[in-house]
Amino acid sequence: MKQVLLGNAAIALGAVTAGVKVVSGYPGTPSTEVLQTVAQNNINKKIYVEWSANEKAALEVAAGASYCGARSMVTMKQVGLNVASDPLMSLAIVGIKGGMVVLVADDPGPISSQTEQDTRHFGEFANIPVLDPSSPEEAYEMAVYAFDLSERLGLPVILRPTTKVCHASGTVDVIDTVYEYEPEGFVKDPGWVIFPPLSYRRHLEIERQQPEISYEFDNISFNLIRGTGKKGIACGGVTYAIVSDVLNELNVPENDVMLLKIGAVFPAPSGLYEKFLKSVEKALVLEELDPVIETGLFHTLALKRMTTPVSGKLDGTVTPAGELKFDNLKKYICDFLGMTINEKNSIKSMELPARPPVLCAGCPHRASFYAVKRAMKGRKHVSCGDIGCYTLGNAKPLEMTDTCLCMGAGITIAQGIKRIDAETDVFAFIGDSTFFASGMTGVANAVYNNSNINIVILDNSTTAMTGHQPHPGTGKTMMQTESPKIDIGAVIKALNVGFTTRVNPFDLDAAAEAVKEAADYEGVSVIIFEAPCIAVAKPEKAVTIDGCTGCMRCIKEIGCPAMHTDNGRVSVDDALCYGCGLCIGICPGKKIRRGDSC
Amino acid sequence: MDILISGVGGQGTILASKILANGAVTDGSKRARTGETIGMSQRGGCVVSHVRTSDTYSPYIPAGGADLLLSFELCEGARNLPMLKKGGTAVINTAKINPVTVSLGASVYDEEKITEYIKSNCKAYFLDADRLAKKCGSLKAVNVLLVGTAFGLGLLDISKTSLYAAIKNNVKPEFYKMNIKAFECGENYALTLKG
Repeated sequence: MKQVLLGNAAIALGAVTAGVKVVSGYPGTPSTEVLQTVAQNNINKKIYVEWSANEKAALEVAAGASYCGARSMVTMKQVGLNVASDPLMSLAIVGIKGGMVVLVADDPGPISSQTEQDTRHFGEFANIPVLDPSSPEEAYEMAVYAFDLSERLGLPVILRPTTKVCHASGTVDVIDTVYEYEPEGFVKDPGWVIFPPLSYRRHLEIERQQPEISYEFDNISFNLIRGTGKKGIACGGVTYAIVSDVLNELNVPENDVMLLKIGAVFPAPSGLYEKFLKSVEKALVLEELDPVIETGLFHTLALKRMTTPVSGKLDGTVTPAGELKFDNLKKYICDFLGMTINEKNSIKSMELPARPPVLCAGCPHRASFYAVKRAMKGRKHVSCGDIGCYTLGNAKPLEMTDTCLCMGAGITIAQGIKRIDAETDVFAFIGDSTFFASGMTGVANAVYNNSNINIVILDNSTTAMTGHQPHPGTGKTMMQTESPKIDIGAVIKALNVGFTTRVNPFDLDAAAEAVKEAADYEGVSVIIFEAPCIAVAKPEKAVTIDGCTGCMRCIKEIGCPAMHTDNGRVSVDDALCYGCGLCIGICPGKKIRRGDSC
Repeated sequence: MDILISGVGGQGTILASKILANGAVTDGSKRARTGETIGMSQRGGCVVSHVRTSDTYSPYIPAGGADLLLSFELCEGARNLPMLKKGGTAVINTAKINPVTVSLGASVYDEEKITEYIKSNCKAYFLDADRLAKKCGSLKAVNVLLVGTAFGLGLLDISKTSLYAAIKNNVKPEFYKMNIKAFECGENYALTLKG
């Protein structure tokens, strides 16, 4: 049946079609909707679906299921694979039994990520196949194929879409039947226990498989040559789709350009590369992120002692960073084909106010940051941030995020800063989901090593940034069951932290007082700011302002998006205000008051 | 047909693009593609959705390629005007959402200048869709209301039956009636815009 599906939904339904029995993952843009769509299409709960505590846990859960002969999938974003790379590298050696797909979404731009790292390298690093879809339609077909390939090879397979495939939708012909089988269960075998001699033997075996997979990729429909020209363009991923549109717009005839499209990218389809490089007089490679296809072509040139000129990222023709959009690609292609670009008579842009993303009106993080800022007024302090909505605390007027590196790093970066900058009060901010994902180790490190830092846990009862997923502290699972809530305060207590306090950040005076006490405490202190994300809490009635004097203190202090200025007076947008009341405690003239309760 | 929807994170551009794409496929388009903004920008930043109902490879409309710009917010309409092809049409919600940069005094939101810029560069229809949506029961229906307006102006090559079916399939049953009311309100308001 034809359905308009988001790329991530297409992958999910492909996995369902292929008979996936276990899907685990950790939320991360642009991968999140894959697991969510499996959960939404989990008829009779035949598939076990979980949000795991982090990507490493997720990959190991999926691996265990695969050991038993079940088809499994693990989902994450590209930086999540860094966390899961330890089990992945070893799993590539040990191998799997039931088809196992490692879904890793890359983010050229980057649009919503710390880095632009290219997961295709992980395939090469771990010696496992990588599939790179160019559209949601192809992503569906690749998902179905990936399970079969993985099972035949006994290796996990990486399916690596990028944002513009994950978050694009296409018209997908979904197969109604589901592959049926009964997993055998765990069968004891020394092959599941990684030891040096086994690793050596398996390494030889895996290297022996590579040319066989490469041959399969020479002949697979995801890799193809279109057109017959003497000038060749090689591309992969969504760039193939955009390049095709550019060639259509430029009315380039099929016998002018030979297009090499690569979807099954590792092991490199070297037979196809050779055919392409023999057919053309020169080639241009267009691919986002790193020159992976390009390097593959150069390997073929070197091994076959060929001299076809190849341009792309390695010779500086193509930009090394960021997305490749229609206009960039058009320019590269016109230069390559010797065509002049007819400048379109396009509409010129005008200068407009910037609109960066912000903490929502009513967001408890705003109150937490403000409480720390107020308590630390006049004291030298550093705020180490982490990954989540609260990274937005870096923006004016709060400016309460001085560092941000990766999941869980805030707590440990803070310890390093304090070792050198001993006179500064150092704060580490971390969200509840991030705390469970990778914050607890940092707290143990701080306690063990007698650090003197202040940890602020922003507990908003959800994984907010990625769209409000449950986590170990919420007691909700993706199987619609309840589980025991893990209490963050109890975890902190068990880790032997000397000073712990819980406070509602909207109780501004109490919150600021708690911060002062924590900062004055010698040793590790933890403040748990408890207030739910506005997306999971019921809003109060909007605040009202009567007799604003126009001092602007509220706007300048907290920068709430529901507050506006009209003719030098502050007004509140009722549709946006959640009635959190943070502004009430800030107005020096006491002109803001709570609306009546809903 | 290439349609670009622009707005501010939280305004529901994704639902509008789903309705258009699904409507086109129900009508018999070989395929429809969309490209969405999902991620950090959804927290009050700039968002766009691309909808393509013709036979292209990529879901993303090139700059200067959109036949129709449907903007849920005035300033975001102006920001995305260069995406419109020469001779293209814009349907613009005049309701403003002030960026925090404006409240903090770091930039200026000049409504008159922005409106003039849009008017002088394309065929544009303006309406206060926020006000109309609130009258229909919820500000959240502003997305469907604007789809109705574009339909009423004869700017969509998608049938009403298919659009209604797409609304039904993509909103919770309890909100279906309200969304149809909003669609009709937008469609009827289009008559006054045409006049």
